Amino acid sequence: MSRPLRLALPQGALWEETLVALEAAGLATGALRDGGRRLVIEAGAVRYILARPSDIPTYVAHGAADAGIVGKDVLLESDADVLELADLRYGRCRFVVAAPADTLDRSLDEYRHLGSLEVATKYPRVAAEHFQRRGIQVEIIKLGGSAEVAPQVGLADWIVDLVATGRTLAENRLAVVEEIATCTARLVANRVAYARDRERIATLARKLEDWAGRGGSASSDARSSR
Amino acid sequence: MADVPHGLAVPRGFRDILPTEARELHAIERLLMGTFASYGYVPLEPPAVEFATGALTLDERRVLRFLDRDGRLLALRPDVTTAVARVVAQRYGRSDAALRLSYFTPVFREEPSMRGSEREYDQAGVELIGAKGALADAEVIGLLGDALARCGLRSAEIDVGHVGYVAGFLEELAPERREASAGRIRDGDLVGALVAAREHGLPDRRAGALEAGLRHRGSDLSALRADAPAASVQALDELAALAPLLEAAGVGGAVRYDLGFVPALAYYSGVVFQVTVPDLGFAVAAGGRYDGLLGRFGGDRAATGFGIAVPHLHQAIVAEGWAVTDEAPLVILGPGGDDIATLRAATALRGAGVAVAIGEVAETAGRPTVRAKVVDERHVEFEGSRRTVDELVAALRR
Repeated sequence: MSRPLRLALPQGALWEETLVALEAAGLATGALRDGGRRLVIEAGAVRYILARPSDIPTYVAHGAADAGIVGKDVLLESDADVLELADLRYGRCRFVVAAPADTLDRSLDEYRHLGSLEVATKYPRVAAEHFQRRGIQVEIIKLGGSAEVAPQVGLADWIVDLVATGRTLAENRLAVVEEIATCTARLVANRVAYARDRERIATLARKLEDWAGRGGSASSDARSSR
Repeated sequence: MADVPHGLAVPRGFRDILPTEARELHAIERLLMGTFASYGYVPLEPPAVEFATGALTLDERRVLRFLDRDGRLLALRPDVTTAVARVVAQRYGRSDAALRLSYFTPVFREEPSMRGSEREYDQAGVELIGAKGALADAEVIGLLGDALARCGLRSAEIDVGHVGYVAGFLEELAPERREASAGRIRDGDLVGALVAAREHGLPDRRAGALEAGLRHRGSDLSALRADAPAASVQALDELAALAPLLEAAGVGGAVRYDLGFVPALAYYSGVVFQVTVPDLGFAVAAGGRYDGLLGRFGGDRAATGFGIAVPHLHQAIVAEGWAVTDEAPLVILGPGGDDIATLRAATALRGAGVAVAIGEVAETAGRPTVRAKVVDERHVEFEGSRRTVDELVAALRR
């Protein structure tokens, strides 16, 4: 195959473990470790594209990258048309609905009274689909960050947020009402690239899955900062 | 933004197709419809608007809908297959003979904003109604390969799969559990589909075989039979029976058997296929057997067909260096002093089959041109010398 495999990698929380995973799958990552500020890095038969996680589904869906590694949380929020090929089992976190621990009963009372709850979140698609599935009427309030604050300042009754350890929730006196989904890092591919370049992409998927199955990355708490 | 008058903008996802591109699209239309006709397919032109409740094939959020003055909810047609199914049920419901229909027409899809997606684009395709079995499947796949080759597409590969392969595995689950996995596979979530199938009781051996099947692509399918259930083996048998027919139809070299290809639409029922090119992230064409769809409008009929996304085909062949070749050059005829002589010379040239524009031409749309100047009604000046009209015609033919 003449063309390099174009692989989009997430900068940020998943970065370090992604490099470990790629090394375990036999890919050259030296150039990534000392790549400086370049965002497109050639390493043998692979061209790495470094991107913000939320942009990776877009790159892959449009075929600007053949494959990519990205969290399931990002995939759920993006709704992009990509193939999910392997669960890499790191970057574990959960989408949860949370409410102020001391006023949960009151907010349920209010729901019965007013027929709708206000939910603050950075993830409006995940939140809207969840409550629609549950048949609960909500008004979604989209925030750019720190939804944990919203109930304290009276902006919303509940929040939908991504948690790794739950520490941030506890510090803001929030309790988990229910879990929406558990998310881990995934290998995704463009549908056409997966057809045309099956050998390389399926082999990569199998190697990454084998590595994850053997215990993969030691730490499952990469996002413990949340 | 506010400075642009409303009348000069077009809604997002719609655009002007300017003469150079339009001329190329018309050439593609001639090539495709000519190929379809050479296989006995006749054109069908359904209306652009249908009742919104009739659309069967697409998520309702992908359909552009509006109310008319009667208060009926209407839709701009999101695909042609649904309209064909309706026409067939309405007008050919009593016939059992094979019906071969073709189309080249715009379709309309609602797309989320900021995705760079078009909401209107041309789709070309055929539907073969009332013909079952491998011969019919080979006919449409062969026709698709032939049509794309006649448009000059050289790098195409045809992925051929069978939705019965995955369905065979999922039939081992309780009926109400199957869709959880089937829907995820159609959406591309192979990880989630396998997790759900295992959770709902698919034995490890089977789940492993399904995973291997979804990753397999190539000509040899025999390795996949080992741990597959009977219904999946039957799908593999159907593909094995199809292979020599595709060779005979002339597309064997481009075909790759790919059980990981499962279309996003739920109505496919048998052999499915898509056409890909290396540097385009979207399929150029896709299709397959959809025996159950016509039943929703009336009697069940066997059916197969494909749709070509014309903008993707256009992009792919232009990238390969394609240009319109079936048009003779345009003669730009400089008028002589006498308007009557100019018009008579132009008429004589057109009568001999030459395209002529008088005066200046601001937009040639990429068509080759030659210049000539009228001397009198029987003579022009061409390439520095005086020629008769007949001599100019002969020179252009060379």
